[in-house]
Amino acid sequence: MNSPETVLEAKSITKSFPSPSNGSIEILKSASLEISEGESISLRGESGAGKTTFLNIMACLESPTSGSIFWDNKRVDNLSNTRQAALRSSFMGFVFQNYCLIPELNALENVELAARIAGIFNKKTPHLARALLERVGLKDRIKHLPSQLSGGEKQRVAIARAVLNSPRIILADEPTGNLDEHTASSVMAMFLKLCAERKTALMLITHNPDFAAMTSREVLLSNGEIKELRPSKA
Amino acid sequence: MKWYIYIALKQLFPSGKGVSLFAAISILGVALGVLGLFGTQSVMNGFHAQIGEKLRDTTGDIIIRNRGRPIYDTDALLERLEKMDGVGSAELVAQGPVMMLFGNVPIFPVLRSYDTIREKCAIPIAEKDFIKMGNIADLDDDSIIIGQRMAYMSGISVGDDVEIFSPTMLDRIKKDEVPMPVRLRVVGLLATDYSEIDSNMALVSLRRMRELYNLGSGAHSIVLRLNDGLDCTKKAIDISSEMKPPFKVSTWLTSNEAFLRIINMEKVMMSLIIVLIIIVASFSICISLYTSVLRKTREIGLMGAMGARPMQIAATYCFQGFLIGVFGALAGLGLTVLVLHFREPIVELVVGREALIQFYHFARLPVKYEFHDALWACVFSIVLCTLAGLLPAIRAARLKISEAMRNE
Repeated sequence: MNSPETVLEAKSITKSFPSPSNGSIEILKSASLEISEGESISLRGESGAGKTTFLNIMACLESPTSGSIFWDNKRVDNLSNTRQAALRSSFMGFVFQNYCLIPELNALENVELAARIAGIFNKKTPHLARALLERVGLKDRIKHLPSQLSGGEKQRVAIARAVLNSPRIILADEPTGNLDEHTASSVMAMFLKLCAERKTALMLITHNPDFAAMTSREVLLSNGEIKELRPSKA
Repeated sequence: MKWYIYIALKQLFPSGKGVSLFAAISILGVALGVLGLFGTQSVMNGFHAQIGEKLRDTTGDIIIRNRGRPIYDTDALLERLEKMDGVGSAELVAQGPVMMLFGNVPIFPVLRSYDTIREKCAIPIAEKDFIKMGNIADLDDDSIIIGQRMAYMSGISVGDDVEIFSPTMLDRIKKDEVPMPVRLRVVGLLATDYSEIDSNMALVSLRRMRELYNLGSGAHSIVLRLNDGLDCTKKAIDISSEMKPPFKVSTWLTSNEAFLRIINMEKVMMSLIIVLIIIVASFSICISLYTSVLRKTREIGLMGAMGARPMQIAATYCFQGFLIGVFGALAGLGLTVLVLHFREPIVELVVGREALIQFYHFARLPVKYEFHDALWACVFSIVLCTLAGLLPAIRAARLKISEAMRNE
């Protein structure tokens, strides 16, 4: 039975991809993971282990070959794409390695976009977005286009965008992968602090053991299965 | 504002940049297409309207003929026609080609009669001030008013004498008689601004024309001028029902039907060619938007991850096409008005004024804006641009979010 605090749960996820040589490759073999409210989990694993595929399946961006996904204890993998999209817009936020900012929008507009797509944009949204940008240290960069921002600044904008709608969980796929060590540390510290303040669950894919150690729990994806490396600090 | 309209607007008009290069070029392309389409239609409308007006002014509204034979005993008929509702004036007209000699140079104008006794004319000679360097009142049986352009081409001036030979003089030659030309003095120049008339027509008195054509008291036709605003086709049908055979009633429209049809045909053909050009332009927009979809694959994936539905993503690109169409059409309308406002120096530069006079019989390039032409040019461009956005939109909507996010 699912715990009431469980935000996101993946049960016995398998995922196979067709292979030109030998039928199919099974990337995920009965991978299961449960993330509770306010919890931060780091997911580690070798390149090609299937971390991003697992993240995509948990976000219903990709269908599992078998298994089920629950968001707030509701099964969602069997819903229509449209329904999943509608739920996803307010349930989760994303931070990607390559920032994925819209180049034609300035920092403020990029952050606001999350609310626009979720259909909850209102008069308060610009103030909220502005406050978030100030919170991530971009007070003087609000009107800057992505092309006018450094990598660290872009990622801060992406983080502000991810938290704008106060999602239940943020999925972050190597958010510091493109940043230098110093910038990566400051961005990660700020990111984890922001999630903790807002009691937003976080699933962080990272190769960096130091950043993984900063989360409340560490798991490893190996041979298509999730293995607990360090249970929750709490 | 819906977010996909917002994104479409922002991708065309990015924050801090005003307008993207793609948007600027696309909008300019559509605007030039609309300029071509609407501009051509407006000029052709102008030709049609001006030629129509000139034809009406120089032909009269309704023409009653006797199947190629002269009409006699016209007094009662003329009186009856003049009393009809809507008929402004009725005029007996004799008209035909002659040979005119000035010095030893022969010219072959068409002579048209003017009733100097009744002084009623079915063409607005006095109202529109068609006579230059003279007056219609100066015309008598021994004088002639010749087309201004004819005078210019032949070097004839007011006060010069010209000799007229009519076709009926051939009868005298057959009888071994020597036909003597009629000597007439030029007392004015006919200037209708319609080169066809100004180059080929001359006015003489009805009595002189009857004599030249051996018409006795007859005429070739009765020409009616209707009061303004009357439908001449409808009136012609009414008059036709009251006229007994062999009279045949026609209007200036039917008399010049082939000519007017050619102008219409020319308008349609030119529009068709420009439509093809706009279609080609829309293909360019389609390719550019498609390239944009390929370039922005990861951004499209991001929007999908953030909760955008495929239809909304598709709408982003359809709206870009639509907005390019709207802005392009509006810019095109403005550009058309601007270019046509300065059409005189442009025509002078491109083809020269003489060519305009020679081929189109006008000294100025005529223009007439029609609302339905503007509407058709705009709607056509907008629909085509929206359709151009459809293919990229379908491609964007079909992208799998997870694959799009992995795109390098």
